Amino acid sequence: MLSRRSFVRTVGIGAAAYIGARGRENSIWSALEPSLLALEPGTICLASNENPLGPGTTVLDAVKAAFGPTGAKPGRYDGSSGDLIDAIAKKQGVKPENIVLGCGSTQILRSATHLFTAKDKPLVGTIPTYEECAGYAEMMGNPVRPVPLDNGFTIDLGRFADAAKGAGLVFYCNPNNPTATYVGARATREFLAKVTRESPGTTILIDEAYFDYVTDPDHDTHIPIAVDNPRVIVARTFSKAYGMAGLRMGYAVGHPETIKKMAEWDGGYGTSSLNVLAMRGGLAAIQQDASVIAAERSRNKAVREFTMKWFADRGMKPTDSQANFMFVNIGRPAKEFREACKTKAILVARDFPPFEKTHCRISFGTMEEMRKAVGVFDEVLSKKATAA
Amino acid sequence: MPVSRRGFLRIVGPGAAMPISGAVLAARGLEAHLAEAQTQGRRARPVLPPGVEEIRISSNENPLGPGKAALDAILRKFPEGGRYPFNSTPSETDLVAAIAAKHKVKPDNVVVGAGSQEILKNAVRVFTGPGRGLITASPSFENCVATAKRLNHPITEVAVDSAFRLDLGPMLTASQGGGLVFLNNPNNPTATVHGIKAVTEFIEGLQRTSPGTAVLIDEAYHDYVTDPSYESAIPLALELPNVFVTRTFSKAYGMAGMRVGYAVGRAYTIRRLLTLKMPYNVSVFGVAAAIAAIGDQKHIDQERARNTEVRGFTIAALKDMSCKPADSQGNFLFADIGRPAKEFRDACAKSGVMVGRDFPPFERTHVRISIGTMDEMRKATEVFRSVLAALRTVTTTASAEKDRK
Repeated sequence: MLSRRSFVRTVGIGAAAYIGARGRENSIWSALEPSLLALEPGTICLASNENPLGPGTTVLDAVKAAFGPTGAKPGRYDGSSGDLIDAIAKKQGVKPENIVLGCGSTQILRSATHLFTAKDKPLVGTIPTYEECAGYAEMMGNPVRPVPLDNGFTIDLGRFADAAKGAGLVFYCNPNNPTATYVGARATREFLAKVTRESPGTTILIDEAYFDYVTDPDHDTHIPIAVDNPRVIVARTFSKAYGMAGLRMGYAVGHPETIKKMAEWDGGYGTSSLNVLAMRGGLAAIQQDASVIAAERSRNKAVREFTMKWFADRGMKPTDSQANFMFVNIGRPAKEFREACKTKAILVARDFPPFEKTHCRISFGTMEEMRKAVGVFDEVLSKKATAA
Repeated sequence: MPVSRRGFLRIVGPGAAMPISGAVLAARGLEAHLAEAQTQGRRARPVLPPGVEEIRISSNENPLGPGKAALDAILRKFPEGGRYPFNSTPSETDLVAAIAAKHKVKPDNVVVGAGSQEILKNAVRVFTGPGRGLITASPSFENCVATAKRLNHPITEVAVDSAFRLDLGPMLTASQGGGLVFLNNPNNPTATVHGIKAVTEFIEGLQRTSPGTAVLIDEAYHDYVTDPSYESAIPLALELPNVFVTRTFSKAYGMAGMRVGYAVGRAYTIRRLLTLKMPYNVSVFGVAAAIAAIGDQKHIDQERARNTEVRGFTIAALKDMSCKPADSQGNFLFADIGRPAKEFRDACAKSGVMVGRDFPPFERTHVRISIGTMDEMRKATEVFRSVLAALRTVTTTASAEKDRK
């Protein structure tokens, strides 16, 4: 697995200097880290921005149905990727040729990075952001251009647009992971128009992984722009609000030419990286009534408000979260906090440099889990920080 | 306990109070069938006439699917469907450890793929280049060729020998200075195998004459081989640089739809493949099923015995129709039917029997037939008999007419 830390380690020194100093091989090997350990029973996991309720009955029933009458079906290569593509196209109001599936949106992010960055076409991303694209670009030996967030931990659109000039790919994660902040639909549209105008050779990948958790009134998908503009791609995942992180299914929406490029590079046609249970589960998930996701959004909103208020009441104001996680200044290193919480069976997220000395990302579990978790946070945070 | 696990009974309903197994699924037959029917989209196969059931012997799958241990493991993981594979129990790290233990190697000798196809793709990306091509057999499994074509890297295809085996001498010559040799053993679609002696000689010869050339030995059908001269090349891969073996859970393990495969080799070689490995590429269900399947060797032994028996029956039936298959060491065979595969395939499909795609350069004469269950193969061979008889009549009539003109 690529290290989530390697992005910042790299950009902190300057990607070229880093790779030059240690050799490309070293930079690749440094990007490897052991997988996280599996959850112990009784542990509350607030570390990976998952939906704590999982996929729900409708999806699990479809997964069970995918076994077939004798349980033999998973022994077959499954041809239902076309059905899932059709269903997603219908849901998003686009054509099947606007969709490519991925083994999680991870595969989409990697394909885009592979296709649109090069030695002379850097990847541009905020710092911090989700590290997949930067990690892959680094591994390919392609330059990474980091852009700091503004004071509100939100994407600084002016600086971002400047950095995008001449870039291969802009990774636009909105809401941004790990800071949970959100740029309104209008400002994003203006940003897309500006970059397209000023740097027509640059592709922009909008990662809408947390789209369904946004409650800001100025909220809209950028899929309509992506289907028209070959330089704009929207990535979506079933891992978040749909609660299917364990099944591995994501997709990209874009212009048919762009989608074709991505499919040809790594897409496969349902017998490649996509498992039958995810395809059948995804099909059931996307066909659910919109009220299912709306319910998950309001469930998360209530938990989010509870948790953010708890921290704010104690003088630790989190960033404005529009997702199923938040980023909060706890006044001490994340590692210290994380390790202390872990001894009490609460898992919070990894380090996010350059804020690892002060900030922690906390995913939202169920209300019951968060009530327990804040009890542990209270205990841990009441002890004086050893180093801040 | 986390809510997701406690919620298990709530999620799967009253049926879950019973021991969860394939039997529960079987009891759900009609419902599952209806769900299946609902999901048939426009890309689904044409509907067969009433009463005709599809016999799918086109994709070298295990017709029985996963063993009971794997099915049970999948169902037990339902509460963790919302967790990333690194957070589930067992996690993807446990899968690597289980594979390593099976082969008595270390975890850093193993890389896991979303099927072995991910590893095949990544191997071409890592080990070939504009001046370092792919060397493969013709015909062989096409995945590596497709990837090399996309990358515009050179491809050399070496014809199989007269017994439809990989022609290792000419392959060695063609491999000089190459990037990657794809050695499919048993070879798909011809089903033939090379013994360990020949494989060792090939690899040692290559290391001597072209040490920078990597070798991928794809042992997807390993568990079906009955030829005593065959052995896995994994010990060679652990001994030599740039040599690695791929395996899959898609064949004897009956998990093609789950997408789990892996490669074994020296740590340095494996690290090169790891650079391109997709994170979280195997689902929590795939992880759990594969670990359970590794622990159930008896199921694999039974599957080999089952396949051997049905394979013997099918070969005898084809010989009786004067269609001589190549020596099959897989769960499929490559038979000379003396006419284009397409003609035969289309005619068989009308009776619900689906056989393999075209495999140039033998698409004018040979067809690949996967081995289904004994019941399926009894029915399928009857269809073959009548289809071949009808096609022969047509051909005879046509040539007779031609003679008259």
